[in-house]
This record gives sequence, structure tokens and C-alpha cells, in this order.
Amino acid sequence: MAQNEYILETEHVSKRFGDLVVLKDINLQVKKGEVICIIGPSGAGKSTYLRSLNQLETITSGKIFIKGRLFLHREKDHTVERIDKETQKALLLEMGMCFQRFNLFPHKTVLQNIMLAPIEVKHEDKETVKKEALELLKKVGLYDKANEFPNHLSGGQQQRVAIARALAMKPEIMLFDEPTSALDPELVGDVLQVMKDLANEGMTMLVVTHEMGFAKEVADRVLFMADGIIAEEGTPDHIFNHPENPRTQSFLRSVLNV
Amino acid sequence: MKTFLKELIDIKNWKKKTKVTWCVVLAVFAVCLVLSFLKPSESDMKAQASAEMQELLKKDETSSRKRVTVTYNSLFVINYCSFSSSGANAISEKYVGFAGKIFKADTGVGKFTGQMVNYTYRMLGSGENILHGAKLTLFLTTISMVIGVALGTVLALGKISKNKVISKICSSYIFFFRGTPLMIQLFVVYFTVPAVFGFAWRDLFAAGDDQAVYKGAFIAALIAYGLNSGAYCAEIVRAAIQSIEKGQHEAAKALGMSYGQTMKMIILPQSVRRMVPPVCNEFVMMLKDASLVFAISLMDITTISKNIMTSEVSYNVFLPALVIYLIITAFFTWIFDAIEKKFSLYE
Ligand SMILES: Nc1ncnc2c1ncn2[C@@H]1O[C@H](COP(=O)(O)OP(=O)(O)OP(=O)(O)O)[C@@H](O)[C@H]1O
Ligand SMILES: [Mg+2]
Repeated sequence: MAQNEYILETEHVSKRFGDLVVLKDINLQVKKGEVICIIGPSGAGKSTYLRSLNQLETITSGKIFIKGRLFLHREKDHTVERIDKETQKALLLEMGMCFQRFNLFPHKTVLQNIMLAPIEVKHEDKETVKKEALELLKKVGLYDKANEFPNHLSGGQQQRVAIARALAMKPEIMLFDEPTSALDPELVGDVLQVMKDLANEGMTMLVVTHEMGFAKEVADRVLFMADGIIAEEGTPDHIFNHPENPRTQSFLRSVLNV
Repeated sequence: MKTFLKELIDIKNWKKKTKVTWCVVLAVFAVCLVLSFLKPSESDMKAQASAEMQELLKKDETSSRKRVTVTYNSLFVINYCSFSSSGANAISEKYVGFAGKIFKADTGVGKFTGQMVNYTYRMLGSGENILHGAKLTLFLTTISMVIGVALGTVLALGKISKNKVISKICSSYIFFFRGTPLMIQLFVVYFTVPAVFGFAWRDLFAAGDDQAVYKGAFIAALIAYGLNSGAYCAEIVRAAIQSIEKGQHEAAKALGMSYGQTMKMIILPQSVRRMVPPVCNEFVMMLKDASLVFAISLMDITTISKNIMTSEVSYNVFLPALVIYLIITAFFTWIFDAIEKKFSLYE
């Protein structure tokens, strides 16, 4: 099947909250190493889509494939094809996620935050995990903060720890839901730099963002979402310089003129 | 634990406040120690009785009907001795021993001091019965709170569980124990349960044990109080768990952690700090509810002070009772504060 060339694929993904239809038949195919930025007005369903991918939201219907293998298949709010738990968990762990509000574990130090899941979920060797965790901290520029508690760090530092925490599980896909929206403007740069580095290393990334500059510079493809559908997609050049859909045009006018 | 010990030994780096506190505590302790050595001995106190009283005591030695009642109480640094005779021309003498001297305590300050020593002594229950007074109150409150917190955690997890049956059972339990009076719960455990199942609480202890009735009643009280506080603690634990941001669950889930792992490693540890103040509150309430045990013939501070009031016709008896309660409350508030601090490190 053709699915095998894609690292992530969704087919006819729909999501309803009660009577409110938030996602309408979303189809997307992501190649390995691709960086996709998702933009769009508030309430378009961007977060919901991202959260549906790693089951933080349960989709109403549709199929999700990870690395060419079926991860989830639901119709009319019921799972129709059962996937065995081990496979599903393994596929889930191929996705790392960063949240707008970081969601670090406040009662654990930076290092413990990073080491927790590899040890408890993957049962990896503690010493190895520690070495890798420190390596990751070095990479996000926070080696000296290893033993701090998250609440003693700035927002930008916390978000970088959150990225390191997700990377410690060695995912193949990283999902970012507005990673810089909760940050003071002067802290945004460091986080974006870490994400750029990640993109350059070939990480597959789905980024919901309001940072149009970042999208222009880093994205391979930009999706414009509105009212639960992907209203327009294309290269950054296409979306930002020659948008065709009137909704895209008016959205960009409103954000770029602020 | 190791770091805790190290911190304890590392006096040089203690906070100033800690140092001052310890100096005061040690000074008070030293003074008390000296005073307790200086305190007149029991025989000295008993030898104080007037010639008249000595005579009566002599007579008592040979007669089978005792005329004189001798009371001797010793309370750490101070002691109290009273003699009172019965009969037509009854006389009574009271003495207080303190710092190497013996004072007459028949009137004024001496009398008041003597009373306080006597009452406090009796409420603390230094008698043979280990289940008396302060000890009973303390044991009952502490142990039932430990049971309560453990049971409460299980009930809270049950109540928020996705399994409808478990959730219903736990909710019903909480509803029942919070919706009925503690006193009746105590009666049910102490009277109804043994009647239905055909046993007696005292049977738990050896037949020859003359305290078996009290010990049995204590066990019954412990069960009733534990079950009751479990219901209240469950609501405390549930509220604390649900006050943790949704993002914590989501982050854990995104990292592949199971529900059990998330609860154990992420949610519960963070809830503990939020539970401490309401649990402390519950503890203090429980401390006071412990006086209900008079209904099953156990004697706690409140009941004993009421009894002393009746037998001695003295209304001052409630003063030491208040002080004892305040000391216990202060001590536990201090402990709970320390626990809260320990868990707030990361904020
Ligand atoms: N748990 C929920 N229950 C009900 N409705 C929800 C829930 N979560 C989201 N929604 C609704 O779904 C719609 C899409 O929300 P979503 O958070 O995906 O938007 P978004 O594109 O991420 O917007 P924003 O840019 O503001 O983050 C909104 O109308 C929102 O109110
Ligand atoms: Mg959003």
C-alpha cells in the first residue's frame, strides 16, 4: 500500500464535541523529515487535530497511520479495528508532544522530568538514560539547570526542558501546540532556535503556531485550517505570498498587520 | 533520610530561627530536669501530714475501715499530696512540692496550683489503664487518621474511577459515613455488629485480662473513627487530586505513562501538599470528636474532666483540659506545617 512511504497519515479524520463539529474529514500525509506548520484562526480545530494524533482527544471517525501501520480506526465513535495494545503503545511513543503551557512535572527536577518516562515506560537503564538526558540538556542549552525545579525557571527555559523531555523518548515525530504562545517575546527566540535545530537534524515536525516568521523560514509545507478543514495548503511561499483562498488572504492580512 | 540526618548534624548551617528554637527548647528541658531532681520525694510529701493526721493514718494501718484518703500525684516538675479524713470532724490537708520546697496548699494560689496538678495528672491518665485520658485521645485520633488517610485515598481513587460500579460503591460509602452521626456509627460498631455476628469486643483479648472490656471498646472506637474519617479524607483527597491541572495528565499520557503510573508518580505526589491543610483540619476535628467515646465507656480528656467536676465539685477542672487540648493541637499543627513545607520545596 502507498501508506508505507508516509511516517504519518490521517484519513477522513473527524471529531465532534457533542453537536459541535470541530474536525471535518481531515486527510493529511506527512513524509519523514517533513516540517509542517499549521496556522489558522482561533477555534479552527488546530489543537484538536494535533491532540487527536496522540489520542489526547478521541476522534469520532477516521483512520490514523503511523510509520505505515494502522494506529487507530474509528467510525461513529466506535473503534472498528482493534489494534493490539503493545503495537498501539509503541506507535504512540513515536510521537512526542510539547504543549503551550509546558506541563512539566513541578515536583520533579529538570533531570527527573526528562528521565522519568524512559525509565518507567521504556524500562531503559538508569545510567544510560541519565547520560542521554544530560546530553539533551546540553543540546537545549540548559545543562547547568539539571537539578533545578521547573518553577524556578523562565517560561522559555521550561519549554526547552519540555522539548528535551519529549526527545528523551526518541520519537520520530514531534508535535508542537503553540509552543511559544505563553512566552514573553524576548524568550521566544531561544525556543524557536531549538526547534530549528531539530528541523535541520531531520526530525518530522507538526507545529501549530502563530509565529509566521518561523513558518516561512522552517516549514516545508504550511496548512491553513479554518472551521475544521484544511482550507489551503502549500509551500510557505505559496501560502504567504500567493494565497488563493479568500479566507487565507483575510487571515494573513489580519495577523500580519497586527 | 540520609540527607535529613546530615542536615540535622550540620549545626553550623542551621537557620538562625532553628538555632534559637533549639536553644529555648534545650534550656526549658534543662530547667525542667533540674526542677524534677529538686522536687521533694513522695515520702517527704507524705511525711508532711500534721500530727493529727499522722495519728489517724496510724490507726488506719490496723483497722479494716480506712478513714483517710491519701492522694499523691507527680507531674514532671511539681507534685501534689492531699490527705482527707472522713467522719464527723473531717479534716483535709493539701501540699504542693516544687523546687525542693513543700508548700501548704489549702487556700489561695497554693490550692489552685494543687488542683491543677491533680486534675492534669488524672486527665493524662498515668494510672495503670493505658487507655486513659490524653493517651486515649491521642492514640484514637492519630491511629484513626492514619487509617482514614489510607482508606480515603483508596476511596477517592475509586470515586473518580471510570469503572461505574466501583465509583458508585465508593460514592455510596462516602455518602453514608458523612450523612450519619459519628455517635451512631460508633454505637453500630460497638453494639450492633457484635450482636449480629455473635461476638463481643472484649473476646479479642485474653480472658484473664482485666482491661479487656476497655481494650475491646477501644478497638471498636478505632474502627468506627477510622471508617468515618476515611469518608471525610476521601473528599479531601479527591478535591486535591482534581485540583491538579489537566495538563499534568496530558503530559504523562503523551509520554506513554499508564493511568496508574500517572496517579502514583505525578498526580498523588503533587496532591499531598494540597491535602495537608485540610487533613490537619480534619485531624483537629477528630481530636475533639474523640470525646464521644464516653458513650461506650471509654474515658478521654473531656469525659474525665466532667467526672472530676462532678466528684470534686470544682469548676476549675476545665482549665487544664483546655490547656492539654491546646498543647496537642499546637504540636500537630507544627508537624503538619513541617510536612507541608517539605512538600512545597518545588514551588
Ligand atoms: N473538550 C472540549 N469540549 C468541547 N468543545 C471543545 C473542547 N476542546 C475544544 N473544543 C472546541 O473545539 C473548537 C476547536 O478548538 P481548538 O482548541 O482545536 O482550536 P484551535 O484552532 O487550537 O484554536 P486556538 O488558536 O485558540 O488554540 C473550539 O470551538 C473549541 O471551543
Ligand atoms: Mg489551540
